[in-house]
Amino acid sequence: MITLAGAIQLIGGLALAPLMPGTIQALKARLQGRRGPSPMQPYRELRRLWGKTLVDPQPTTLVYRLAPCVVAAAMVLGLFLVPIAGLSPDWPLGNDAVVLVGLLALARFALAAASWDTGSGFALMGSSRDLTLSVFAEALLVLALILAALPAASTDLVAMSAVANGSAVWSEPAHWCGAAAFALVVLFETGRQPIDNPDTHLELTMIHEGPLLEYAGRDLALLHWSAAARHWIVLVVAAELFLPHWGGFGARLGCLAGGLALLCGALAFTETAQAKMRILRAPALLAGGCLLALVGLISWLVG
Amino acid sequence: MSGLELLVLTGVALLFAGGVAPAAPRAISASLILQAVGMALLGIGGALVLFGAPVLGAPFQSNLDPTLGIDRLTGFFLATLALIAVPALVYARGYLADAARSRVLVALSGLFLLTLTGVVTARDPSTFLAFWELMTLVPATAILVRHSDAAVRRAVFVYLAVTQLGGAGVWICVLALAHFEAMSDPGALAAQGTGVQALVIVAAIVGFGTKAGLMPLHSWLPRAHPVAPSHISALMSGVMIKVALYGLIRVLFEWAVPVPLWAGLTVLGLGLLSALGGVLYALVQHDLKRLLAFSSIENVGIVALGLGASILFASEGDRTWAAIAFAAALLHILNHAVFKALLFLAAGVFERAVGSLDLDHVGGLLRRMPWTGGAFLVGSMAIAGVPPLNGFASEWLTLQALIHAAFGPTLGIGLAGALATAGLAATAALALFCFVKVVGLVLLGAPRRSEVEAASEAAPGMRAALAFLAGCCIALGAAPGLLVPTLMELAPQPTDLATESGLSISGTGSLPSPWLLFGLLALSGLLWRLRGSRRAAPVPSWACGQRAEPSLSWSSAGFTKSLRLVLEAVLRPRREIEKAHEHGQLQSIHYRGEVPHLFDTLLYGPVQRGALRGALIARRLQSGSVRAYAAYLLALLLGLLLLVRTGVIG
Repeated sequence: MITLAGAIQLIGGLALAPLMPGTIQALKARLQGRRGPSPMQPYRELRRLWGKTLVDPQPTTLVYRLAPCVVAAAMVLGLFLVPIAGLSPDWPLGNDAVVLVGLLALARFALAAASWDTGSGFALMGSSRDLTLSVFAEALLVLALILAALPAASTDLVAMSAVANGSAVWSEPAHWCGAAAFALVVLFETGRQPIDNPDTHLELTMIHEGPLLEYAGRDLALLHWSAAARHWIVLVVAAELFLPHWGGFGARLGCLAGGLALLCGALAFTETAQAKMRILRAPALLAGGCLLALVGLISWLVG
Repeated sequence: MSGLELLVLTGVALLFAGGVAPAAPRAISASLILQAVGMALLGIGGALVLFGAPVLGAPFQSNLDPTLGIDRLTGFFLATLALIAVPALVYARGYLADAARSRVLVALSGLFLLTLTGVVTARDPSTFLAFWELMTLVPATAILVRHSDAAVRRAVFVYLAVTQLGGAGVWICVLALAHFEAMSDPGALAAQGTGVQALVIVAAIVGFGTKAGLMPLHSWLPRAHPVAPSHISALMSGVMIKVALYGLIRVLFEWAVPVPLWAGLTVLGLGLLSALGGVLYALVQHDLKRLLAFSSIENVGIVALGLGASILFASEGDRTWAAIAFAAALLHILNHAVFKALLFLAAGVFERAVGSLDLDHVGGLLRRMPWTGGAFLVGSMAIAGVPPLNGFASEWLTLQALIHAAFGPTLGIGLAGALATAGLAATAALALFCFVKVVGLVLLGAPRRSEVEAASEAAPGMRAALAFLAGCCIALGAAPGLLVPTLMELAPQPTDLATESGLSISGTGSLPSPWLLFGLLALSGLLWRLRGSRRAAPVPSWACGQRAEPSLSWSSAGFTKSLRLVLEAVLRPRREIEKAHEHGQLQSIHYRGEVPHLFDTLLYGPVQRGALRGALIARRLQSGSVRAYAAYLLALLLGLLLLVRTGVIG
C-alpha cells in the first residue's frame, strides 16, 4: 500500500499533473458550450515544446537559464512531501507543511529573479503582481494550515490528513472555516479566476503567465509542467486535508480521485461563473479569508 | 591557567595589539591580521565553551568589582561575533587599503570589537555599563571619521540622542538588578514583588529594544547603519544589535524569571510590529544600504517573535516548545548576522565599483563581478528565507514555534500565536519581494549606468571574505540540526533534542535540510542536463517590437507599485506631479514620489516639536537677571523648609 502511495506520489505526480489543468480547461469549455480541447492537450503541448529549440534573450545570465530547472526541481520535491490517501513512504524529505510553503516560495523567487534578468516589462509586471498577492496568500495559507493542523497538533501532512479522515472533524466549525480559507489559496496558487486568468496573454491582466513570456522550448515545457505540478500539489493537499474521506487506503484513494475531480469541476465552474477581479481587490479577498480563518481558530480555542 | 583560558587571553591580547598597532605607519595590514587572529581565537574559545567546555572566569555578581567571564550564552555570542568579525577584518584589508584615514578606522575597528567582546563577557554591572556605552560611542566615531558633512553629523546626532534616551532604560534595569542582587541570584527579583519586576522588564525592553532597533524605537538605525564604513556597518547590523538582544535575553530569561505573560505578549507584539514594519519600509527604499538597515529591523523583529513565543510557552508550562522557540531566536541571531554581514560587505564592494548605491542606477553586476555578485545572490536568497539556505532554517523553526503557540490552550495565547504566524508568513513573503527586487536591480538585467560597464571584481581577500560568508549561509542551511540541540540547552529550562544534521521535532513534519539541499541540487542538475544546451541565436527581450531602451527599464518604485497601491492606507505614499506649460503647450512633466517614514512624521516629529516648545517655555526662566536667580533660590529654600516643616521630607 505504502509503495503504491509512493508510486502515485511520484510517477502519478509527474505524469498526472498536466491532466489537472487539461481537465479544468475541457470542463470549462463544456460549461461554456464549446467543444474545447481534450483533457490531454497539455501533454501534446509539452511534447511539442520539448522538441523546440531554446531562445536566449539578451542580456541574460545563468540566473535566467537556471530558473526553469530550479522551479521544476522545487515542484518535484514538493511531490515527495504530499501524502497520497494519507500515506507517504519514508522519503528522507519528511512531510512538513511549512517546508512545502518554502518550496513554493523558492519557485516564486527563481521566476521573479528570471523576470528581472530579462528586464522585460511584461515579465516584471507579472511577477510584481504575483509577489504582491503572495504576501496575503502566504499569510492565508499558513492560517489555513494551522486550522488543518489543530486536531493533530502537528504540521506533519500525514498526521494532518489522518485526523481529517472520517466525519468527526466536520463537527468542528474550525474545519469549515479552514476549508473555505484554503479554497482561496487554491484559487491563488493555481492562478485561476477571479484572481488570475490562465487563458489570457493580454499584458494588462496576466499574473502567472507574465514571467513565462520570454521562455521557449524545453525551458517553457519545464515551466508549464511546474504550473501543472503546482495544480496537482495544491489540489491534492486540498483534497487530503479539507475534503471528506473515509475508510482505509483503497477507499481513501477513491475519495482522493473523486475529490480531485470535484475540485477541477469547481474550478471550471468558478472560472465560468465568475469574472476576473480587479487586481487591487484581490488582496481584500485574501485578507477576508484570513479573518475567516481567525474566526475558525477562535471557535476552536473557545470550544 | 587552563589551555582554554590561555587561548582566550591570547585572543584578547592580539585584538588589543591589533587595535594599537596602526599607530605605527604602514601597519594597517599587519594590525588587521592581528585583530582577525585574536578574534578567531576568542571565537574558538567561545565555541568551545558553548559546546560544553568548562565555564571561564567568574559567574555574574551584583557588586561593582570589575569581573569578566565566559559562560555558554556568552560563548554563543562570542562565536557569532568572531564568525562575522574575521571575514569583515579580512575584507577591511582590501576595503581600507586606499581609503582616507584608514589608520584611525583600523584602530577603531579593533576597539569596537573589544567593546563588543566586553559587553558579552562582563560579569558585573559596572563593567557591563561601561562597555555598553563604549559600544554606542565607538561606531559613532567611526562614522564621523569617515564623513563629516552635515547630513552625516545629523545622523550621528540622532543615533546618539535616541540610543542615549533609550539607553537610560538599560541603566535603570541594570542598576535595579544590581541593587536587588538579582544578577547573582536569579529569583531575587521576583521576590521583590511584581511592581519592581515590571519596572525592570519594561526598562529592559525599552533600553535594549532601542539599541536592538525594535520598532517604534528604531529611528536611529536606518540613519546610522548606512553611513558607516561597510565593514563597520556589517558589524553594527550583524552583531551590535544582537548584543543588545543578548542583554534582553539575560534579563528576560535569566535575571527576571519567572517572566509574566504580559512581558511575553509585549515582546511578541513589538517583534511583529518590527518584522512587518521593517520589511515594508525596506521594500520602498531606493538606497541599498538603507534598505539593508530596515531589513535588520525586520530580522530583529523575527528574533523577538521567537523570544516572545518562548515566554508564552514557558508561562503555560510547555518546556519543550519554550526551548525550541528560544533556540529558534538564537539561531536566527546567528543566521542574520551571517547573511546581513555578507550583504553589507558586498554592498561596500558595489559602492566602490559603481560610485553610488541608488538601486535604480546599477544593474547587470553579476556578469561583471561573478564572485561578489554570486555571494550577494546567495545572501539575498538566504535573507529572503527560501530553502535550502540558513534563513529558511531559522524562519522555519520560528514559524513552527508560533504555529504551536496558536494551538492554544488559552484563547489569548492561541490568538497571539496565530496573528504572529500570519504576520511572520507575510513578512517572509515581503522579504522575498524585497530581495528579489534588490537582486534584480543590482545584479541582473542590463547595466543602467556607464560606470557599471567598467566595474571590475573586488580584490582577492575581499572576495574570499564574501565567499566564506556565503559558504556559511549554505552550511548553516544544510545542517542547522547540529546547532539547535546545543542552543536548546541554553534555554532556562533546557530539553533534549537528538543531534542530527536536519531537524526532526515531534509535532512537525521535520526539516531534513541536507536532503533538501541535495535534492534541489541533484534535481536541478538533472533537469539542466535534460534541458540540453541547444540554443537559437540570441535575441533581444520582447518590448512590443521597439528597442529596449535603458529608460524603459523597470525601477524600484515601479516594481513595488502594486503593493504600494494595495497598502496605501498604511504607507501613505506621497506623489507630486509638476506640469510646466508654455504658450498653452505642455513642456515638461516632473514626477516625484516618496514614501515618508511614518514613525518619523507621526511619532518622532510631534515629540520633538513638543520638546522644543517645552524648552522655549523653560527658557523664560532664564532671564539673565541676578535678582531673578536669587529669587529662585529663595523660593526653593522656602519650599524645602515648608516641606520639612509639614513632614513630607526629612
